[in-house]
Amino acid sequence: MATKPSEDVRTSDVRALTVDTPTAVAPVAPATGGVVRQPVWIGLLACAGLALVALPWLTSAYWVRVFTMVFMLAALAQSLNIIAGFTGYADFGNGVYFGIGAYATGFLMQQTVPAPAAVLLGALLATVIAALLGLPILRLKGHYFAIATIGIMEGTRELVTNMGFLGGGQGLNIPIIRMSPAQFSMLMYFLMFGLMVGYTLLVWTISRSSLGYGLRAIKGDEQAAAVMGIDTTRYKVAAWCTSAACTAIVGGVYAIWSGFIEPPVAFDIVRGTEYFMMMLLGGAGTVFGPILGAFVLHLIGNFVWSQFAHGHLAVLGIIIVLIVLFLPGGLMNAFRNGLAWRGRRRTAAGHRPTDNAA
Amino acid sequence: MSPQVLVNGLLLGGIYAAVGVGFSLTWGVLNIINIAHGAMVMLGAYITFLLFTYAGIDPFISIPASMFVLFLLGYVLQRFLINRVIPHGVFMTLVLTFGLSLFLIDLALLAFTSDYRSVTPSYAGSGLSFAGVIVPYQRLGACVVAILIVAGLNFYLGRSKLGRAIRATALNRQAAQLVGVDIAQIYAVTFGIGAALAGAAGSLLAVTITITPFMGQVFIGKAFVIATLGGLGTVQGALIGGLVLGMAESLGAALIGPSYQQAIGFGILVLVLVLRPEGIMGKQFFAEVK
Repeated sequence: MATKPSEDVRTSDVRALTVDTPTAVAPVAPATGGVVRQPVWIGLLACAGLALVALPWLTSAYWVRVFTMVFMLAALAQSLNIIAGFTGYADFGNGVYFGIGAYATGFLMQQTVPAPAAVLLGALLATVIAALLGLPILRLKGHYFAIATIGIMEGTRELVTNMGFLGGGQGLNIPIIRMSPAQFSMLMYFLMFGLMVGYTLLVWTISRSSLGYGLRAIKGDEQAAAVMGIDTTRYKVAAWCTSAACTAIVGGVYAIWSGFIEPPVAFDIVRGTEYFMMMLLGGAGTVFGPILGAFVLHLIGNFVWSQFAHGHLAVLGIIIVLIVLFLPGGLMNAFRNGLAWRGRRRTAAGHRPTDNAA
Repeated sequence: MSPQVLVNGLLLGGIYAAVGVGFSLTWGVLNIINIAHGAMVMLGAYITFLLFTYAGIDPFISIPASMFVLFLLGYVLQRFLINRVIPHGVFMTLVLTFGLSLFLIDLALLAFTSDYRSVTPSYAGSGLSFAGVIVPYQRLGACVVAILIVAGLNFYLGRSKLGRAIRATALNRQAAQLVGVDIAQIYAVTFGIGAALAGAAGSLLAVTITITPFMGQVFIGKAFVIATLGGLGTVQGALIGGLVLGMAESLGAALIGPSYQQAIGFGILVLVLVLRPEGIMGKQFFAEVK
């Protein structure tokens, strides 16, 4: 009963494969990433990208900060998309790798390791941990995997709280990078922007590679995928390690950005749920869905927060409920279905006279 | 090992069972992970607080009231909101209940402010004492009532027609529909029962811990552990899961240190999941991956 979203992905794959045949939905090309094939969409994406690049020179520091956060959440949602969206393993505890990345970066920078090396070493650590944890944990299915990831994250938070050399419950101060505040916020803005764009390209590449097809096959039916010769364990571990490395890099950059981390912030289950929702609302297993979800949800959340000092969470709650009620398949799917519906109508209108003639 | 540690674990476990049983029921039977369960526990606690403060009603007497109010809330939510989202999968319903949770907590924050509240009946602070073991009346009462509620629910679901319909729905939704079970109604009633149990747990917690709009959030993680430990959707499983978690936390705090209390619970959780995914008491069909 819980397979609707994956069915959508599978049907859209089928549609992508039969795109040359004269079907009613041919003009839509709704494969994952297929939107890019349309020149209009390339143009729109380029415009959006240019606008975001120019944004720091056009607006106040406040909006630069808000958008840096949006990019960060989008990058996190996109990282999650690899394991949860494509592979169908609902990882609610992906935030554990955010925390590992943040703490590894912070600790290494305190030992005077240069920031870029610290971030990359953090990603390496997260990859190794994901590989070690993945072998037993990725055997679990459905809910059980989801709970196990929550358990790992909460358990890790407690462990870090008890680790003196990581600052324990008092948190960890990260050495300040010497540059002016304006330059620093600019650097962070473009770093997060770069991560978001980079991860989207990565996901786009994966979605078209044999890895991506294998992961979607696992999501559709893991046993069938194994029968078809896919080494499911290797694929799943590869997906989780990639997701973990991506998440850890964001965590490391976040640690540098905020200058201070503590266990409840680094291993925050609410933020974990937040970017999971962004992925779902945008469209799990699509290339642009998580980005769209992050922009829509965080900007709405930010707007609500600025308008309602009291009760902003209640309003946000209502908005989430409304989105789930009216767009349960995610924004990307609603968008595609809208296009498909328009395409069908146009085709139907075009065909009617010939139908009558025949 | 001092017997006090074991008694504390038992008392804690009884409350955990009450918190976990409703969560386990909705998850196991309806395949709904109710993130708003913690918020519902919190509402139950506030109902007890209001009745005690403004009407002088004893917290244990107010349990039926909070169960009734929460049942209505749960029934309405399921009937008019959650039922519509169920076809879109378990994770969409999870997002929905997350939204509901935010809404309920913020509403409580507006209505009751974030001030810390407590319910202090005349017997607060006193307790039984024998052989050096102290058992506070409030915690003892909460534990006993929790176990009574769980046992009563188990009896009811096992014997009544409604209970059979609920279990049939859990086993096979389509087959239950074929033999004349009104699925939408059963879903709403079951979710209502789950909410009522959250309300009861909230009333019991009101006498043992401080009441704030965020008090329920801690218990969501624990409810996951309890439900999984015992096996999803079984009432006696939640009781076992609650007692095991309570004991483990109490023993772990005594042996390793109180700051590792949560880590122990989650460590056990991951171990159980890897070694015995259907739970300690779980029956295969209740815990099938859907």
